[in-house]
Amino acid sequence: MTEQPEAMDVPGRVAEDGLEQSEFNLVVWLSSRGIFVFTALLILVAAIFIDGFVSLNNITDVFNRAAPIGIVAVGMTFVVITGNYLDLSVVAQVATAAVVMIAVSNESNLFLATGLAFLIALVYGVVNGVAVGVFKANAVIVTLSTTFIGLGVLRWLSGGSIYFGPQDGPIRQFGLAKLGPFPLSMLVLFTMTILLSLVLNRTTFGFLVKSFGSNRAATRLAGVNTPGVVIGAFTLSAIGAMVGGFVLGAFSNTAVSAMSTGYDFRALAAIIVGGTSVFGGRGSVARTLLGVVFVSVLTNIMVLSGLSFGVQQMVIGALIVAAVSADSLARRAAG
Amino acid sequence: MSDQPEMTPQASATGPVIEARGIVKRFGGAVAVNDVSIAVPTGQIHGLVGENGAGKSTLMRVMAGILTPDEGTVTVQGSPLEAGSTRASIDAGISLVHQELSLVPEMTVAENIVLGATPDTNGFIDFKEMKRIGSDALNEIGVNVDLDEPVVRLPMALRQFVEIARAVARKPKVLILDEPTATLTPAETDYLLDMLKRLAEQGLAIIYISHRIPEIFAICDRVTVLRDGQRVTTVDIGDTSPEHIVDAMVGRELKAELATHREEADFGDVILSARGIEGEGVNGIDLDVRAGQIVGLGGLVGAGRTEFIRAMIGADIRTAGSVMLTRNGETKHLRGYGQAIRSGIAYVPEERRSDGLALTMSVADNITLPNRGVLSNLNVLAPSKIVSFSKALAEKVGLRPPKIELLVGDFSGGNQQKVALAKWLGREPDVIILDEPTRGVDVGAKAEIHRLVRDLADNGTAVIVVSSDLPELLELSDVIHVVRDGRIVGTLPREVADETSVMTLASGGSGLIGA
Repeated sequence: MTEQPEAMDVPGRVAEDGLEQSEFNLVVWLSSRGIFVFTALLILVAAIFIDGFVSLNNITDVFNRAAPIGIVAVGMTFVVITGNYLDLSVVAQVATAAVVMIAVSNESNLFLATGLAFLIALVYGVVNGVAVGVFKANAVIVTLSTTFIGLGVLRWLSGGSIYFGPQDGPIRQFGLAKLGPFPLSMLVLFTMTILLSLVLNRTTFGFLVKSFGSNRAATRLAGVNTPGVVIGAFTLSAIGAMVGGFVLGAFSNTAVSAMSTGYDFRALAAIIVGGTSVFGGRGSVARTLLGVVFVSVLTNIMVLSGLSFGVQQMVIGALIVAAVSADSLARRAAG
Repeated sequence: MSDQPEMTPQASATGPVIEARGIVKRFGGAVAVNDVSIAVPTGQIHGLVGENGAGKSTLMRVMAGILTPDEGTVTVQGSPLEAGSTRASIDAGISLVHQELSLVPEMTVAENIVLGATPDTNGFIDFKEMKRIGSDALNEIGVNVDLDEPVVRLPMALRQFVEIARAVARKPKVLILDEPTATLTPAETDYLLDMLKRLAEQGLAIIYISHRIPEIFAICDRVTVLRDGQRVTTVDIGDTSPEHIVDAMVGRELKAELATHREEADFGDVILSARGIEGEGVNGIDLDVRAGQIVGLGGLVGAGRTEFIRAMIGADIRTAGSVMLTRNGETKHLRGYGQAIRSGIAYVPEERRSDGLALTMSVADNITLPNRGVLSNLNVLAPSKIVSFSKALAEKVGLRPPKIELLVGDFSGGNQQKVALAKWLGREPDVIILDEPTRGVDVGAKAEIHRLVRDLADNGTAVIVVSSDLPELLELSDVIHVVRDGRIVGTLPREVADETSVMTLASGGSGLIGA
């Protein structure tokens, strides 16, 4: 569309049937459907050309590494769909959950640890949600700050110690457990994906998250308690981060405040590559899972090809720039 | 100046400074300006009047090089103006003072005046020169403002003068002002008008757009009336009268009433009663609406109609006043927006694209939003209910095509407006407020929406319509309240309301035109 004065509401190119004409647009198509094709191609290429990709050990390893980030990402998807960019504080939340899980169950038991971690998740959700939803503060700066607060508290209380779970404890057993050939962490990832998909697609709350992300003013004018929607989205993100922290802690049976560095960005990478729009309103939890698979397989290919960590980082960074640009171009092209 | 050869013989000293010939500008299918010509010589103040949507602003944007015309040419001192280039029009000596202020609030007065032409030496701002240009411009218009004051700290009226100083600082040959007095008090308006006369005497050609007939007669030498994008007349001010100008603006014969005439006795009790509503731009408004009655709010853009209804229902902050909703003998005070909606009020906002609809969601999704309560069980959406509910509403409003799974953004304006209406009809509201219900909507959809509105009222719904489209307001309303400066300045029952009486009240022309 060309530029038009805002004062006039322009009918646009109206076709005979009352619909605006829309032409096929490659960028729009790539942004919305590309991830399915790219993931399939990537797996195909890896299976053919990369030695050791199609082996039980490798696939198990890919999922073990992908599970905690994936769980964080499916939760954070809600925040992205509300149009509030991302929840950076998952870095602090994941580490806090893992430390609480191991440290508290060492002192007393796992139930108390789970309860406490859940409460902490609620606090994160409400604090982030109130600042962003009620006070309309910028989500990036709010969650960057709560990351600082959270990691600060954690380092202060833990004194920076590394916590180890007992070698035969339930946490260790969970971390090693397999369902047939697949690690339990993978099962948790899929369960979380299905549960949160149901929340997003079937409940009124999920509907309001999408509606708010699509048009805040229209949603508010429909009589919706919009701050509640934002608080809910940040709370689901916090619960995802808590479960992700448990899975990460169980995988290594250790916990330390620095263990989740980079989770914010890697979760965001999965969400955006999956095709959820950073402009809000459009996206799905299942897409995020696909994004996780894509990023993990790509990383795995680079590892198996012997590329250095620096190169891997560079490639993932470039991927995000491409995905975000495609999202933006697609939005403009779609009008 | 451009070095193109002179194309027209008008380039002599006595010819027009600026001349537009046969300008046609279309947006999509709609013709905003249709074959309009206008010429203004040095020293003349040329008034341009017309109703909302008559094409005044579009024509000015074409003449200022902001929009490219589909047909026709603009020449400045005989040289054709490069179409669609703001730069070229500034270089040719045209300065436009916009309807909406276009100052940068955080910057100082001096910085704003030189904006776009900041003086510099080797890339470093020449602050001395900047201040000199600024104070020269302010002296020229005779206004005293601190050059170092950030614009955001100035009152609205002074900002308007800074805007004009910026236009003058460019040493223009042609000055175009679009509704410059909208935010000014009468005294400030007088000052501005005197100033414009002085500028014209110094040799500027001025095009002055206004709704306010008295202002036109106070300063203009000639006046052009636009209606529906076409030029109705251009006359010397001495050869016309305010009555003639209003008649020319309004033009149309009153259409035969399409609606079955609705009698006072058909209305029910007062259902919505607002007292002393105040808020941003709203200065104490009372309003009563009866069941089955259609109440129209008329007035110029910016008169405070939208602000009033939003403050009344709590969509924006209400600083004073009370609102009571009475149903079945039970009276409720409305305090907040959420409560108003739950109590049976529906509000279809003016800006459907930004406030009314989620364009990237489907018709069904948009209809679900305010109706989610009845379309879910224990907070789980019921897809089958959503489909049947949405289909019924889409059919009721005549959505075409009636495909509820399509994205709202893919529909035409008229169909989008039907969705904006449908989503609220699902709640079967007792009071429905429609702000500009058919703006940018084609004729067919407009008639359908009017029929829907009348059906609602016939079935006992209280309806409030805000519209800048006079024929629409007259056709729908049982009574019209005219709003100006955030107050109701007149109430016209259906029997006495016509375009002239509404426009007279709306533009404050009552001193000149016997109402």
